[in-house]
Formats: sequence, C-alpha cells, structure tokens
Amino acid sequence: MNVDQLTQQLQCDPLFMRNVVRWETMPPREAHYADFPEGLDARLRPVLAKRGVHQLYTHQAHAVREVLAGRDIVVVTPTASGKTMCYNLPVLSAILANEDARALYLFPTKALSADQVSELYELIEEMGVDIKTYTYDGDTPGAARKAVRQAGHIVVTNPDMLHSGILPHHTKWVKLFENLKYIVIDEIHTYRGVFGSNLANVLRRLLRLCDFYGSRPQFILCSATIANPQELAETLTGRPIHMVDDNGAPMGARHFVFYNPPVVNRQLGIRRGVLPETRNISSMLLKNGIQTITFARSRLAVEVLTKYLKDLVRDPLGNAGRVRGYRGGYLPTERREIEKGLRAGYVDAVVSTNALELGIDIGALDACVLCGYPGTIASAWQQAGRAGRRKGTSIVFYVASSAAIDQYIVAHPDYFLRQSPENALLNPDNLYILLSHFKCAAFELPFEDGDRFGNAPGTEELLDYLDDAGIVRHVDGRYHWSAEDFPASQISLRSAAAEENFMIIDITNPRNHRVIGEMDRFTVPMLLHENAIYMHEAQQYQVEKLDFDACKAFIRQVDVGYYTDSDLNISLSLLDIEREDESNGVHRGLGEVRVTSLVTMFKKIKFDTHENLGFGHVRLPETDMHTEAMWWTLPDELAAKYDSDTLKNGMLGVTNLLRIVAPLSLMCAPQDVAVLYQVKSPITDKPTIILYDNCPGGVGLSHKAYGMQSLLLEQALQIVTDCPCGAGCPSCAGPVGEIGMNGKKTAWELLTALTR
Amino acid sequence: MNLRDKLKAIERPKVKITVTETAPAEKPAFTDCWRTETTHQPSCYPLRRETVMLMQGEDMPECFQEEKILYLDTETTGLAGAGTVAFEVGLGWLAADGFHVRQLVMRDYPEEKFLLEEIIRVAEGFDVICTFNGKTFDLPLLRNRFIMNRIRTDVLDKPHIDLLHIARRVWKLRLRKCNMTNLEEALLGIPRVDDLPGAMVPERFFSYLKTGDFHLLDDVLEHNEQDIVSLQNLLCHMCCMYENPEQLRFDEDVYSMGVALDRFRHTEEARRCYRLAGGAMHAQGQQRLAASYRKSGERQEAAAVWQEMIRLREGGVTPYIELAKHYEHQEKDIPAALDMVRRAISMMSEPTLFDEASVQDTRNALQYRYDRLKRKLEGRRNE
Repeated sequence: MNVDQLTQQLQCDPLFMRNVVRWETMPPREAHYADFPEGLDARLRPVLAKRGVHQLYTHQAHAVREVLAGRDIVVVTPTASGKTMCYNLPVLSAILANEDARALYLFPTKALSADQVSELYELIEEMGVDIKTYTYDGDTPGAARKAVRQAGHIVVTNPDMLHSGILPHHTKWVKLFENLKYIVIDEIHTYRGVFGSNLANVLRRLLRLCDFYGSRPQFILCSATIANPQELAETLTGRPIHMVDDNGAPMGARHFVFYNPPVVNRQLGIRRGVLPETRNISSMLLKNGIQTITFARSRLAVEVLTKYLKDLVRDPLGNAGRVRGYRGGYLPTERREIEKGLRAGYVDAVVSTNALELGIDIGALDACVLCGYPGTIASAWQQAGRAGRRKGTSIVFYVASSAAIDQYIVAHPDYFLRQSPENALLNPDNLYILLSHFKCAAFELPFEDGDRFGNAPGTEELLDYLDDAGIVRHVDGRYHWSAEDFPASQISLRSAAAEENFMIIDITNPRNHRVIGEMDRFTVPMLLHENAIYMHEAQQYQVEKLDFDACKAFIRQVDVGYYTDSDLNISLSLLDIEREDESNGVHRGLGEVRVTSLVTMFKKIKFDTHENLGFGHVRLPETDMHTEAMWWTLPDELAAKYDSDTLKNGMLGVTNLLRIVAPLSLMCAPQDVAVLYQVKSPITDKPTIILYDNCPGGVGLSHKAYGMQSLLLEQALQIVTDCPCGAGCPSCAGPVGEIGMNGKKTAWELLTALTR
Repeated sequence: MNLRDKLKAIERPKVKITVTETAPAEKPAFTDCWRTETTHQPSCYPLRRETVMLMQGEDMPECFQEEKILYLDTETTGLAGAGTVAFEVGLGWLAADGFHVRQLVMRDYPEEKFLLEEIIRVAEGFDVICTFNGKTFDLPLLRNRFIMNRIRTDVLDKPHIDLLHIARRVWKLRLRKCNMTNLEEALLGIPRVDDLPGAMVPERFFSYLKTGDFHLLDDVLEHNEQDIVSLQNLLCHMCCMYENPEQLRFDEDVYSMGVALDRFRHTEEARRCYRLAGGAMHAQGQQRLAASYRKSGERQEAAAVWQEMIRLREGGVTPYIELAKHYEHQEKDIPAALDMVRRAISMMSEPTLFDEASVQDTRNALQYRYDRLKRKLEGRRNE
C-alpha cells in the first residue's frame, strides 16, 4: 500500500480519526530553476550534466553568485534541497582555478564528514582532476596526517579537532592557513548553547591565525530552518553575513497528522501512553510496507520501541534486521551499516533519537512518526523532514505524550504550524568559555598591545588578568604565553566537563569481552548504574559493575520482562549575586549558582503494561555544574497564609507552569532551562522559585528571563486561568496525583499575588 | 562584580610564585641573546660514513667529516604546540682544539629572534645534525619557532643522526628505558650526579622570568651542556660497537643489533651479530640466523641451523616445524617431514597446568599438518 492509499483508508477510519486533532495537508511544491552563474570553472558543468544536473535550483545559483562576488553567506533551506552544491561548486571552482587554494569544511559530527567526503570524491573522480580531499579527525592514522597537512586541498574536520588538533599546532599547517579561501560550516543550527559559544570562539581563533598568515577566508554556512539564521551566522563568525533562502527545490505533497491518545481516566486526566500509541502507528506503517522513521525522545524509548517493532517482524530464526534502532552510543560501523540499509531500502523501519535529525544521508523515507514533541519547533521540522521526497506523498504523525508541552502543542496545532522555529541562542562572551579560548589564543599567537579577540569585550582586562596570574608575560608590547600547560586540552566544546566517555563492555561471553558502545559521563549515572537494565538494539543487558574511575561499565545479557528508569535529584547553592530588585514585596535576584545532581534510586517498569515493579538504590558520586540563575522569593506574608504542604504543592504547580512557558518565551529547547522550587532556599532563606540555564556557565537565558520582569509569571497565570480542568492536569499546574487537590488553586493564588 | 574580580572568582586559585620586586631596572634593549662557550675533551673514536649508515636508514653526505656534524639539544617551556618555546639551545662541534659547546639563552621573549638567527649562523657551516630525539621533538619545535618569528630557512633540513632511535633499536631490550641518563650510565659508565630532572626545566625558566635571578638557570645550562657532550660520546661509542659487535658484553644488545641491521638489509653484518648472541639469547639468535638464510634462499644453511637447534634442544617446536616445511617442500622427503611433525606433537603433548589459547592453536595446527602429510604420503603410495 502506498502513502496515498493509506491516507484515504485512515481518513475513513472513525476509530483512528477520533484521536486526530488536526490533519494538515501541504500541497506539493514546484521546482524553481535558475541559469548557471557566470564565473564557475568550465569543467564543472559537464560533470554535473553527467549526473543529471542540467540546471541549478534558484537558491543554489543565488548562493554561488554571492560567493563568487566575495560575500560571506548562510544558506537556509530544508533537508534534501541540495545544499551541498551551494558550497561544493564554488570551492571546486576555486581550486580548479588555483591549485594552491584551500578550503576547510566543518561538520558537527564525524558521521556527517564521512558522508560529505564520499559525495565530493565522486564529483572529483568524474572530473578526473587532482583535488585532494582529506578527513582529519581522531580516526585519521598518524602516518596519513602529514599528507593531510601538506597536500589536502579540502580538509574536512569537526570543531573539536579544529580546536585541539589543528589550531594549537598551526605551524604545521602553514600551507592551509596561507591559502585558506573558504570556510564551510554545515548544520550551523546545531551550534547553539555551549557548543555554539565554543565554536564562535574557535572561529575567532581561526581568523586570528589566518590574519597572521595573510589569508582572509570567506564563510559559506548552511542551516536548517530556525528563527534567526542570519543572527546566528553573524554571532558565530563575527562578520556580516548575506542570507540565501530562496529555496527552489521541489517537494511532494505532505500530510501532517496531530494525534492525541485517548483519555482513559477522565477524572485524573490520564491519557493512553505515548509509547503504546506510537507502537500501534509505527506497526501499521511497517505492516503496509511503508518505509518509516520513528523518533523517540530518549534512548530508553528508542530501545523499547525497537523491541516492539522487531518482535513484529521476527523470522523463524529470530532475525529482525528489517527493523533497526539508532542512537548515540552505537559504534560507528554499526551506524554506517544502518544508514546504508536505509538508503538501499533493506531496512524498513528505524527508531531513532535525534541522532538522525542531522543531515546524515539516509535517503528520503515515506513516513515519520514523532513519539512525543521533540522539544523545539526547529527539531520537530528537522525530524519531520526525514520523510518527504522530491516527488510522491509523505506523511508525518505527531503522537502527543501527556507532558504539558506536548499537550499544549496538540491543543494548539496552529501555534506549531504558523510559529517560526526557535532562536538559536549562544553567548560567545560567556566568561568561562571566553577565558578558556582566550588562553588558547594566547598560546597560539602572542597578543600585541591594542589587539582584539574577534569582537569580544575586555581584551585588555583579560590579558592583564592572565599577566597577573603568570600565564602570559607582557614584555615589549606583546603578551607571550608563559606557562607549561597546553590550554586546548582543558576544554571540551560540547560540554563543560572535558572528561572521557564510558565504555560499555558486554561480559556475557567470558572468553570474549567486547565493547558494544559508549556513553558520556553525564548520562552514565542515569542509565548505567549497577542493576540498571541497559538496552542495545533491543537486547537487554543488566549492568553488573560500574567502574566510575576507570570509566567502564560491565554488562551481561539478560532476558527480563521489565526495564529501569532512574530518578535525578538536584540541589542548588549560590555563588554570587549579580543583580536584585524588589517590587510589591516580591524579591527577584540574578546570579551565579552551583547545581549538584545526584541519582539516588531507580524504578523497575514492566513491559507492555508499564506498571511499577519495585525500585532499587543507586550509590554514585554527584556531579557539579556552575551556571547562571534567576529567582523569585515569596513575600513572608504570602507564604504565611499556607501550611507547609499546601505551600509546597502550590510552588510545585508554579514550577510546572513555568516549565511550560519558559521555553516558549525564551525561545529555547525545554532541556536548556530548568525550573525548581525550594521551601527554604539556601539562597534567600525563604520559599523561592528558581530558574537556571541548564548548561555550565549559562548561555544568557536567566539574564533574558530576568529582563522580562514578571512576564513569565503572567503567562503562567494565563495558562492556569484558561485551563478547563478541575484540580490540575498535565497541561497546566500538573496532575492531581502530583500536586494534590489544592495545588492548582494555590498555584493560581501565588501567581496572582506575585504578578499584582 | 567587575570583570577582573569575576575572572578571579571563576578560576580556582593556583599556587603562585612569590615575586620579589626588584628595583625597576632600565628597560632592557633586547639587542641579542645571552651566550656562553666551553671546550671539552672529546671522545676520539673516528667516525666513518659507512658505520653511521649501518645504524640508520638515512643517507649521509659523500664527504662525511666528523668536524661537520652539529650536535644540538634544546630546553623548552613545554612539550608541544605553537605556544612552546625553546628558551635555551646548546650547539656542539668538534674542532682542532677540542669539543666546543655554545649555549644560547633568550633572557626574555623578545630575545628569541636573536637566538634563532644565531642558530642559523652556526648551522650554516655544518653538513649533518646529530640529536637525541630531535627528529620528533627539537627540530620540529625550532621549525615552529622560525615560522612564528616569520623567518624562512631550510638550515635544519640536513641529514640527521637521531641517537634515540638508534639506541632504542639496540639497547631497549636490555635497558627498557632509553633516556639519556640510562644510556650514559650503561654505555659510557658515567652516572649523572645532581642532575636537574627534565620535567623541572620549564618551571625553572618561568621562575627566572618572574624573579630575574639568572642563577636559577645554572642547573639547566649544566644539564644541557652535559647532554651535548654526551651526544658526541654516545655517537662515538655506538659507532665503535657497530664496528666491533664482539665487544658488546650483553647478549641482548648484540642480538638487538642484529635485528636492527637486518631491518636496514645489512644481511652479512646482521648474521655476524646473530652468531655472536649467546646465553639466553642464543636460541633467538639462531632462529633469526636461520630465517635470514631461508630468506636469501640458502636453504641448506638454514636447515643446518635448525638441526643444530634440535640437537641443543633449543627453540621449542619451531625448528621441528621449520624442518618439516623444509623436508616437505625442498627435499620432497615426506617421511622425514612427518617424523619432524610427530616429534613436535610429542613435545607439545607434555601436560601443562594451564594451556594458553596459543598453545592450543599450535597443537591444532600441528595435528592438521600431520594429517595433511599423512594423506599426501598415502596418496603417493596409492598411485
């Protein structure tokens, strides 16, 4: 059955349609072409023609024209619109014209680099010219590195390698830096928050070195659709950027189905679980032979769904290769194999975390199921974009979970469909990040009096500070690096902690221990604590031993009817108050805090029924983070009105509401901002509601929230006032089971008092 | 909080060196680097081009002269990267009146370019550079410094003798750690006394910069001077040993020298060493010798070595297996080959408490070879 037939059948099925809140159909888009721009090397056209490309789409031609005119650009178009052509054409043309010219390609992950290089190779091969394209990353063998440094025309790498492997050793890359003509950065929408702030500083360092070697490279950036691509591009590069967004690629018709699982307990506002409902929809697609990708929000959900779908297609020998799981933590070879299977069509269904959201080439699929709202409008569209061919119809199902934000989206499909996607926020001048990169920059090349570091503020103060600390030495108008450290090794671009990943080792076969995956230190306490059930490609393993010091987890295959889920405890202490004010007796503060998280226990949850089978304790060290926070303190006379339980429930209700409104107003992903309450806060000694940036050093969300005065509280009040439920539901203050019978009322009273 | 206080707050306090403020001297002019020169008694063993070329794969100039070798060693502020500086460079050469060591120090960063220019001036007069680990460390680092100071030069691109690589090939088996101190003690019989550990060198330089007390560098200069002198001594000693391997007192060394010579295809010299290797290394030496014969097609000589090994009960099952191959493929004597395999199997059948997987693999391979030979023999009988 094809998608069109399935669509008709579903629309006639009252049992299914009962749960469909909205069925949006987007008409197909025609292709728009433009002439080949003047000025491209003549050898390129015949090769493109051989590959069936006789004309360029409008955005491709536009991009090439702008680059040839010497401008820095950002190309903003959806998945599968032929973005790579926008940079490959000018780069190849430049190298064909001058074989000394060099280009640097940056991709956020290794997998993406591998993909891009193979595409470039094909073009170069067909032209029969000697343009050397090398990947330079952690996997590049030592012997090959010298050749890459000397002879690579196009060096493909990732920000991490640029930061620690190339920039600090720039004297070995003289050829590259002297002749660097283009810097290509794909998928720039992934450089938000800490990662983006780090990359912006890495680029400041890169441009500083180019200046030293006398080159002035142009930027060619690509982004998926977000609210502020131009702003993001300009913040990342520190340069004015020309935007290219006249997408000319064709697109088949698409259906977007908003599906809300039926209510099973009207009093408590409980709906059927998102996992079983997703299972049903994905199974239906699989049975009808429609190639489908299912996105789940957690690794755990991916594994549970993979198991369900695999069970459906298992052959008599127990093989179920047509259904695959995909997430961070699988080994690269396994991932490559799954990607290949999807392209070749022998994998019919894949269940993935947002790991497949990026531009990894898996071809275009027919259908996409979102198990829960991925958190941001941008990533929802990225994921939905995985289904959709240039010709032919595709379909996307969004299955709402009971989480408040999911229910909000499913209740307001127009918000989702009409609202522009989120801003990508980053703060290159975050002091933690800036200082670290400033040290790297000083190591790489001495600062001279009057030098600036990109457009970063306070260059002189930073240098004087480092001089005082004995890290640089100011003499004869220059600041020389004067320490034994290698500063680049002290920063990890993707997280605050530059710590290594954990190895996951399967010890089922005593004669053959094998590594089956890896996991970052931050996630380990939640998923790899002792006795946790860890799932990999739907096979269950039990964690036997977690060696925290050696960064190893030893697991053994088991076959049990449950999975585990752990609870995270968070506590918070104040480091420094930056600003405070008080109006109407409500005290607000902004400052730096230390957030400590600790996993203390886990639950065992039965498959299929999802009932709780018991719990166990986790004994692991806590993890620390310094970040920025803002807080509201309740006036004494307000707090005094309630007994402690009522107050607690009311404050819990307020935090639940803030969690819904904060990501929407601050235009960030829900996981970027955290909200919690303390009845007797160590910051203020009083009942306090705290909102903080959920990343080390902060990216400015708390600042933004502080600047909004009482806007967040007003919006929270609006939601709780408008919600038709009785004593609370997951879409407002929280379900009755969590906040008690008076929780919603108290939350409303508190918010009313706070916003008066 | 202002930016400065904030910076102090977010960084953990580090151990700070107390700086005693000296009276503000006149601003130094930075017109040259500091230098000193001493003369030493050199090692007198004559260096020959052929011997140097036995020790490593690199070609040496036709008109090789020991007076044209520049010995070089640097002291640096760190291990790698563009921010690491060679603040001290020691240069040594042989002259009619003895072995000269010239040491250059930059007293502050602006003097670096004078130090680099002096290196170029001196190095221009030499044909060969000799270092200890200079291939991967000193020379790339100096090249970095030239680039950082915008100096274009190829003065360091000369034929290079890196003593660390030579030493590792010959002495690592016995000494395990081939650092300069170990080699001096083991080869030259000179232990270092009160030597400054290399790891403390950067710290000394930074302390000097902060205090201005040049005596802090005394130990560094002494250490570096000793290194340069030892470079010349070690090179002579190594050449002497390569020319007279029978003088090597340890079997591990002579065996390793054989392997090293083999690696650069100096077959005859290598065999000479293998024959010299006695004691605990005898069996391995003989095995290498036989392998060398086999490789060059001297099958009978190889077989003779294996037979001798069997007589001496050396080398475990290896000579049996090698002879089995020899009888089967060269002599076409299947019964003799079968006999060898049978004897090997009976050797392997001695019970041991724990069998490693490799033992089991060898056993299986022998059994397989036995069965195959047996079939071959029977096939021939049936024909």
